[in-house]
Amino acid sequence: MNNSVKIAVFLALSYVAVPLALGSNTYVIGLIVAALTIAGIAVAWALLGNLGGMVSFGHAAFFGVGAYVSALLTLRGGWPVFPAMLMAGVGAAIASVATMPALRLRGPYFALAILAYAEIFRILATELKPVTGGAAGLLSIPRLPNVLGLDFGSKLGGYFVILTIVVAAMAAYHLIRRSAYGLALKAMHDSEDATRVVGVNSIVLKAWMLMVSAFITGMVGAFNAHYINFLEPDYAFAGQWTMLAIVSAIFGGYRTVSGPLAGALVVYLVDQLAFKPILPQGHQIVLGVLLGAMILFNPGGMMSMLTAKFLRKEASHAA
Amino acid sequence: MLLDLDGITVAFGGLIAVGDVTFAMAEGDVLGLVGPNGAGKTTLFNAVSGLVRPTRGQARFLGRDLVAMPIHARARAGIGRTFQVPQPMHELTVRENLMVASRFATGRIDRERIAEILDLLKLGHKADADAATSLALTEQKALEVGKALATNPKLLMLDEVLAGLETAGKRAFMHTLAEVRQRYGLGLLIIEHDIETITRLCPRVVVLNFGRLIAEGSPDHVFNDPEVIRSYTGGEAA
Ligand SMILES: Nc1ncnc2c1ncn2[C@@H]1O[C@H](COP(=O)(O)OP(=O)(O)O)[C@@H](O)[C@H]1O
Ligand SMILES: [Mg+2]
Repeated sequence: MNNSVKIAVFLALSYVAVPLALGSNTYVIGLIVAALTIAGIAVAWALLGNLGGMVSFGHAAFFGVGAYVSALLTLRGGWPVFPAMLMAGVGAAIASVATMPALRLRGPYFALAILAYAEIFRILATELKPVTGGAAGLLSIPRLPNVLGLDFGSKLGGYFVILTIVVAAMAAYHLIRRSAYGLALKAMHDSEDATRVVGVNSIVLKAWMLMVSAFITGMVGAFNAHYINFLEPDYAFAGQWTMLAIVSAIFGGYRTVSGPLAGALVVYLVDQLAFKPILPQGHQIVLGVLLGAMILFNPGGMMSMLTAKFLRKEASHAA
Repeated sequence: MLLDLDGITVAFGGLIAVGDVTFAMAEGDVLGLVGPNGAGKTTLFNAVSGLVRPTRGQARFLGRDLVAMPIHARARAGIGRTFQVPQPMHELTVRENLMVASRFATGRIDRERIAEILDLLKLGHKADADAATSLALTEQKALEVGKALATNPKLLMLDEVLAGLETAGKRAFMHTLAEVRQRYGLGLLIIEHDIETITRLCPRVVVLNFGRLIAEGSPDHVFNDPEVIRSYTGGEAA
């Protein structure tokens, strides 16, 4: 199958088949929405990791900032929900500017610095009571709207919204990757000097990737806020947003565009449907074990494994 | 002046790799830079392209102060260089290497110029090959020149691009360089060991030894200078 066929099949499945088959089952749709929420952060994380070469432990910061920006714009500023969600992306991107001094750090130091930023944002949200409502949080955040007879505030409507965010994020990841920016970023990993002497400003490129990644994550956070209509600092900035996204991206394969989505669906659904009933406490340990096994035996992740199998099969057919 | 160096000094700890070097090039000049191994030639390139910061001294390029200019800005200003040990951009094809150079140094991907450069350097048949893994030494050196040319430079600094090639390859490459210079009208600063090559390519030569500029002038004049001869024979023995 060539790429455009694959994309068409994927879009038909996700926009038509899934809603038709499962649309009336609000429990399953709810689970898929939660998985897609993780998938959105996972795509953003993978974009930063693969293109920017940066590992972030702090994406919860952008998720939380996005959630608060959109909630406050709609609650206090009277903004309509969708424009507020876009502004949430912008807000998260602006927040990422605050973390940019950390871009000069390499590898684990960057990862840790950005984790500290997530913690700082959480504390800010707790302490700025007059604005954010402090630890008590924000209630009655407006639900997703009704547009042209489509009720995005329903479970199924929410599914379409988060699906569209994830699809757009994947498209952005794909387009950036094959642009000149993507090439330069790829080259920078192993040939930084060679890349810089032909005019590439590596810090600026990395900063762009951080902003794009933060923008996507902020939108996802905003979606979540309008989907569950409730927000508190410990929830919005919870480490689990980062952790689940990282597990998903790496498990699915963060160097592929589809890997983070596939990883999130498998990881989240298997966790909720299989492990949680058996191990109500500490079921996420199983995820850690699975992830460890994947890194040991197939560091490219699930999607690269499937593609390799598929290629081998095609090759043997051709032979 | 194209390039104007005034008292450039680069020290690594106690080691003076480049000591108080002063010379200038006009636009379109071809200048040879010679000297024994360890004389500081590559370090001087690094200082001009921004990879090392001079400890002392002034550097100007087309009148602009270089010392505070970041690496990528120097490429955009028109300084192109090759690496003595070829450094293709990894994970990219040959053509993509040139595309990145073109896009980021000039602001747009000039496909026509890229095709022309690939053709000129006889890399056309390898355009879509992986740059880091599938090139012979001659082709790696050609790619070094190609990346630099794709930045649309006004000064091209070549660090031993001919070293390691056999005589026929050397001759062909020299021919190509002459063509490149004619087509793009750029200044060349050429590091080269082979005296015959330098004599053919460069009307003017500067000689470094232990980081110091010890002679400057025509190849005939310079290669008959007793101090230069001593430095070379001393350098070989060391
Ligand atoms: N990054 C560096 N750190 C320490 N010493 C260096 C570095 N780069 C070059 N040198 C030293 O500087 C001197 C000049 O080196 P180089 O410029 O490579 O000489 P050439 O290119 O003329 O052979 C050598 O003694 C070399 O070991
Ligand atoms: Mg050298």
